[in-house]
Amino acid sequence: MNRKTVFLILFLSVAFLSGCYSQKELTDLAIISALGIDKNENGRYVVTFQIVNPGNVAGGQQVSGGAQGPPITAFSVTGDNLVEISRKATTRLSRKMYYAHANLLVISEKLAKTEGILKLIDAFDRDPEFRNTASIVISRDVKAADFVKTLTPVDKIPSNKVIKTLKFSEQRWGRILDVNLQDVMKSLISPGKGLVLSGFRLFGDRPLGKTMQNIQQTNPLVTIRADGLAVFKDGKLVDWIEGKNAGGTLWILNKIKATDVDILWKKEKDAISYQVTRQQTKVSASMKKGVPVMLVDVRAEGGIGAVKVPVNLNSPNVILAVERALEKEIQKEIQGAVQHAQKDKSDIFGFGEVVHRTDPAAWKKLKHDWNDAAFPKVKVKVKVDAFVRRSGLRNKPFLSNFEK
Amino acid sequence: MPSFFKRGKQVKNNPNKKDGINHNLPQPLNISLAVNLDFINQKTGNSSDIVIRTKKIGTHTQLTTAVLYVEGMVNEQSIQDFLIESMMNNSKDLNALGPQEALEKLAEDVVSLGHVTWVQEWDALFLSLMSGNTIILVDGVKKALNVSTKGGEKRAIEEPSSQVTVRGPRDGFTESLSTNTTLIRKRINSPNLWVESMQIGRVTNTKVAMVYVHGIANDKIVNEVRRRLKAIDIDSILESGYIEQLIEDQTSTTFPTLYHTERPDSVAGNLLEGRVAIIVDGTPFVLLAPAIFIQFFQAVEDYYARFDISTALRFLRILIFFISIIAPATFVAATTFHQEMIPTNLVIAIAAQRETVPFPAFVEAAMMEVTFEILREAGIRLPRAVGSAISIVGALVIGQAAVQAGIVTPAMVIIVSITAIANFATPSFAMAISARLIRFAFMVAAALFGFYGVILGLIMLILHLCGLRSFGVPYMTPIAPVIPAELGDTFIRVPWWALWRRPSFISSNRTRKGKNKHPQPPRSRGIVNTDMEQGDRNES
Amino acid sequence: MEKAKISSYQLFVLMFLFELGSALLVPLAMGAKQDAWIAILIGMVGGFFLFFIYLRLYFYYPDIPPTEYAQRIMGKWLGRCIAFFYILYFAYLAARVLRDFGEMLITFAYPETPLFITNTLFMLVVIYGVRKGIEVMARAGELLFVLMYLLAAVGFVLIVASGLIDLNNIKPILEEGIRPVVKTALTQTLFIPFGESVVFAMIFPYLNNPKKLKWTGLCALGLSGFNLAIAMAINISVLGVDLATRSQFPLLSTVQSISIAEFLERLDVFFMLALIINGFFKIGLFFYVTVTATASLFKIKKPSSLAYPLGIVTLLLSNTIASNFSEHLQEGLRQVPFILHLPFQVIIPLLLLIVAFFINRKKSSKQKNDIHR
Repeated sequence: MNRKTVFLILFLSVAFLSGCYSQKELTDLAIISALGIDKNENGRYVVTFQIVNPGNVAGGQQVSGGAQGPPITAFSVTGDNLVEISRKATTRLSRKMYYAHANLLVISEKLAKTEGILKLIDAFDRDPEFRNTASIVISRDVKAADFVKTLTPVDKIPSNKVIKTLKFSEQRWGRILDVNLQDVMKSLISPGKGLVLSGFRLFGDRPLGKTMQNIQQTNPLVTIRADGLAVFKDGKLVDWIEGKNAGGTLWILNKIKATDVDILWKKEKDAISYQVTRQQTKVSASMKKGVPVMLVDVRAEGGIGAVKVPVNLNSPNVILAVERALEKEIQKEIQGAVQHAQKDKSDIFGFGEVVHRTDPAAWKKLKHDWNDAAFPKVKVKVKVDAFVRRSGLRNKPFLSNFEK
Repeated sequence: MPSFFKRGKQVKNNPNKKDGINHNLPQPLNISLAVNLDFINQKTGNSSDIVIRTKKIGTHTQLTTAVLYVEGMVNEQSIQDFLIESMMNNSKDLNALGPQEALEKLAEDVVSLGHVTWVQEWDALFLSLMSGNTIILVDGVKKALNVSTKGGEKRAIEEPSSQVTVRGPRDGFTESLSTNTTLIRKRINSPNLWVESMQIGRVTNTKVAMVYVHGIANDKIVNEVRRRLKAIDIDSILESGYIEQLIEDQTSTTFPTLYHTERPDSVAGNLLEGRVAIIVDGTPFVLLAPAIFIQFFQAVEDYYARFDISTALRFLRILIFFISIIAPATFVAATTFHQEMIPTNLVIAIAAQRETVPFPAFVEAAMMEVTFEILREAGIRLPRAVGSAISIVGALVIGQAAVQAGIVTPAMVIIVSITAIANFATPSFAMAISARLIRFAFMVAAALFGFYGVILGLIMLILHLCGLRSFGVPYMTPIAPVIPAELGDTFIRVPWWALWRRPSFISSNRTRKGKNKHPQPPRSRGIVNTDMEQGDRNES
Repeated sequence: MEKAKISSYQLFVLMFLFELGSALLVPLAMGAKQDAWIAILIGMVGGFFLFFIYLRLYFYYPDIPPTEYAQRIMGKWLGRCIAFFYILYFAYLAARVLRDFGEMLITFAYPETPLFITNTLFMLVVIYGVRKGIEVMARAGELLFVLMYLLAAVGFVLIVASGLIDLNNIKPILEEGIRPVVKTALTQTLFIPFGESVVFAMIFPYLNNPKKLKWTGLCALGLSGFNLAIAMAINISVLGVDLATRSQFPLLSTVQSISIAEFLERLDVFFMLALIINGFFKIGLFFYVTVTATASLFKIKKPSSLAYPLGIVTLLLSNTIASNFSEHLQEGLRQVPFILHLPFQVIIPLLLLIVAFFINRKKSSKQKNDIHR
């Protein structure tokens, strides 16, 4: 009995005397949704914080106070390193900065080109609060600050908009890539794998993007658009891959979930649109005379989306011909991407890792100068198997009767 | 330190001076009726509900007799019809007899009532008198006749209010011990249903019956129950809760280690699993020992419904129990310590709600929980007609108004309501109330240390539960220690045709029924009537 | 020795939870890079041999704990010394594991909370458990074992469902040959966690069915070994070798990567709590053994009364064994295996076994001679 009492007293005193150390009330937190990192003329970092204004986001019933304010607040802080900036930012804010929900990291093109991102990553990686699943994008031609401060319609929180764009565009279009912090680190550290990040641009009159005006119109004054893939080498942005080459990159990376491939048919450009619904790419390597030869084996399945020319899709032969044409087209995209990357001397496809896995001994030799010496010389064979499984609701296009 | 804690225990009870009542009355009755009646009057303080009717019987000898009973405790009709009238009618037969013989004659022939015994000592006399028997005294005899005329007002058998089922018998125990044993015996028509009666409570002399099925119940447990019941030394037993608290294995726990029920079918089922029932006169709640944790999540209906449905419901109840313990604690922990766990959109929604609330989450939660407890307690104590209405309206109004006033968040109201509803849905009230109490401890732990506090609390809770025993049976059997063969009636309930053994940790006789009693319907799929006429046409 | 009996299933559960304990938490066998899982499996096989040593010793003296049979084998004075050093060893390990978990909590969820506080709370629960006795802990183990496995299954499904596993990360297998893997196995995984089953030498006498002991132990070691290997393989395949090596707590980093439908994210706190259950059993068993060994060595009748004083010692020890986490980890993975684990898990038991073998042979031959005469 005594012991129980002692135990109870001990326990309670320990509990009550020591509790609440790490407690943080929701009302004391500034929920940061995105971070933008720039470098100013003096070579100091400028970090822009996008902070959620909960009351203006959730349409709760007790949100009073007349006009709806902006869903986010954003401000920039200058400093020499990220931790300093984070602490310094508290002078601007009434609350504790809370990074756990920051799922977007915007890095300006300028910073990525001049200094690179190697030095930035550690602070995010080390902090247990920051999620390593946060996406990273490059703001093309604009300051990250402007990017982060721009309001967006539909998705009230701009970072959500960017993340969803990344996600759905990667899935449905296949020309941009959602890369998170963890992937970035993996790519940066591995000698056999280069880094690609998606770029975003701002279109329109930039200062207006920061006003509520922007989202009170059917046609927003400033829009955020995904545009291109940034190629990194040694942590620095070296080039942009755009258009079909970007598509080819995703084909090799096995990231295409659904996309559109247009083919030439009887001299008519983009005559038949092919919708990919399933895709599988296998990359294997073999060594020939000390030079790695990569085999990219692509298998695509899908259906016909639209046809501009009269073509008899009933005939298996025609389908076969379409498939051949598709294979050629995809092959072209992929080869284009490979050439681009080889020109940039950055192995963004992870060919080096494939070599590492298949021939560790050869890799040891190639490892040290992979990107600059070996990779540009790599021969890439592309083998594509495209299948047209179905052609939608109709067989022949109505054009075939129209022209008669 | 020890001396400080022990100081309270210094006063030891003196067993001889317990209540000012001298129990050592092995005194025999006096030979004189007048002296006897005087003594009775003196002993009972001339209580007005004791009816003493003196009569002279026999035409010659003029024997003076007295009929005593306590008003309201007896069946007055039968006293009138079978005792007094028949004494009057048979008056002549008693003529030539002395007092002794007359009384014997009375006992043998005259009194046409069921149970007649002799009483020679005062304490026995008082005991039977007070429990509703009628005493017949004859002048000149040192013995008295004790006629069983128990009766009086009884509540009719009603549907039990605490454990309602959709399917299942509708009768419930009443306050009368004899009715209750009857209800059990009606279900178990076996000579092996043994009832052991005893009287506990020095003042109240409450009748307590220990019921078990001989041959199924484990003798060790029966003996243990008997030993503990016999060891009880208290002035009064007014409800089975007194006994529960006096015989349980461990006192410092919020968990019930004896099962109590108002349902005869539940008791019968448990007796057939080998448990011992303790019926206390004056309460419809019957105790069952030993109790195990999982038993409190088994409703009688589980055994009547199909096994798949009962299994699903049992899982639901375990979930409910967990919700009612840790839901508010989880909410407090997640919103004050681990906001990163909450999906971004949800955290923003909750944060938006919380913007206007002036209290920390824990204070808010505690406030709402306490308010709810007040409402619930009020709902129980209020007259039945208004009770439920008040509690619902109160909760709604307070919930709604508090949200609108910006004192609590809608999310918190949802959590509190879920907890409350979950608590109501626990089939056993004793378990539910224990969850109610523990919930607050978990809330405090969550407010102080977030999920770390909650998980440490859970580990302690599980250690505590695993350390409990009920009449020597570990509380968490058959889950921990796991007895694979007994798991059929725990979280899941296997169909009756597969439940062919009794729980080994309770019963000594394990075979419930034959093996392989899987229903085997005839293979014919034809229409019954045509089959009857034309034979099994569908059988090829 | 308290009067308690545990079933072989309960022993299995305790051993399993114990082995997983902190091994699931720390970057185990990271010296072997992507072949960490192989190193764990090799360590497991080595663990089997160590287990047989403890088993043989137990069969020579089935009714008494090592603290007493050490005295019978080595003589009173030396035996007592050995027993005393074992007590220190167990207490030190309890403190180590406690420190591991305290550091994890602080790193992941409670950055502002002092280590002393988290450890105190944990220790209080451990003391509570130890005071309840081995039977209660075993029963709680049975319950929590199921819970752990459910959680592990959920975690596994979530990781697979979010498409994180990239088996290419654990290739090429045996890149540098088998040597670094064996080296890691022999210097690390053999001792942590498999060799740590030496504590169970103190628990074996409680067993109600010694015949099943051999298979129980092998199953528990085997299953936990496989689970650890799978967990480590998953860690590496999700995080990649580099990140896994750099992580202080790889498993939690893996769980942190789960992101499904933008709803199930940041589950690390949740799994951290699941790990605490494992940790409870590891610390609990080390501490229980410390308490009972002390009681049996110093002939204290009520071992549970030692729980508080020894608990405070362990608590203080856990705070003072290292000044920072890196130091703590380096000690644990580099120095402790040689300075402490090697003698206490291998050399002393082996020595005891050899001496016991000769003593018992002498005895039995004496008996034979007696019969012959």
